[in-house]
Amino acid sequence: MSPDDLRCELERLHAATFGWALSCCRWDRAAAEDVLQASYLKLLDGRARYDGRSSLRTFVFGVVARTARETRRRAALRRWVPLASLLLGPGLADGRPDPAAAVARADATARLVEALRRLPGRQRQILHLVFYEDLTIAEAATVAGVAIGTARTHYERGKAALRKLLEGARE
Amino acid sequence: MIDQDDRDLRGAFEALRREAAAHTPPFDTTGGAARRRLVPGARRRTLVLAAAAVLAGVALVLVLTPHRPGVQLGLASVRWESPTDFLLRLPGDELLRLVPRLDVTPSTINWSIP
Repeated sequence: MSPDDLRCELERLHAATFGWALSCCRWDRAAAEDVLQASYLKLLDGRARYDGRSSLRTFVFGVVARTARETRRRAALRRWVPLASLLLGPGLADGRPDPAAAVARADATARLVEALRRLPGRQRQILHLVFYEDLTIAEAATVAGVAIGTARTHYERGKAALRKLLEGARE
Repeated sequence: MIDQDDRDLRGAFEALRREAAAHTPPFDTTGGAARRRLVPGARRRTLVLAAAAVLAGVALVLVLTPHRPGVQLGLASVRWESPTDFLLRLPGDELLRLVPRLDVTPSTINWSIP
């Protein structure tokens, strides 16, 4: 795939990829933008190369998920080792929720976001990939890097936990 | 893949998707920021390469420079005697070190302790 083609495809997938980055960053907009930039950088400079084994969307989502994990690890390292920032460069977003975005969010979606934040990471990822991104459970398993059976378990448990949290928020 | 019972969740996620889509930053903004981030990375890589080149140069100079021997000390020519060495000498121990000669008799040997 030529760089121009890749750029066009990334532009086509941009909204979905941003949504996925938001989910990977627990709906922290600033962190999601940082992760998305770093992911695009990997894709555009060839560090992450698409080999056609899965759909491009699955591949791009996988890159975003890995980048989010790396970012979280670096942030954790920075918290524990202050000198690490000299080696790792400037830090990314600090993980605080974006207040402006929080105010603008409608009540129902705010409840959903809050409930998603409280879900375990894997459950949140699988539910997001299936419901938000319209992926199959098999595709979601590929993106999350887990076996399909594990993804199905996360899906079922995640749905139950999310419903419980949403009902709790309504009361 | 979504069951009919999951319509409530599907609706909630659909609303979330619409809202997130409305606030998605333009692709050019994100892509431009990604390209700008490439610059410090490239600079860091250049610095690392320059440091590696300097280290390689120093190593090459060290390897290629002929070895200059320092002041050599001929240990074989040095003899040090302890002040108490005489205690180890036995009377007549010259007989053990010298080749016997006919003109030397035990009477000519100095038997005194040095």
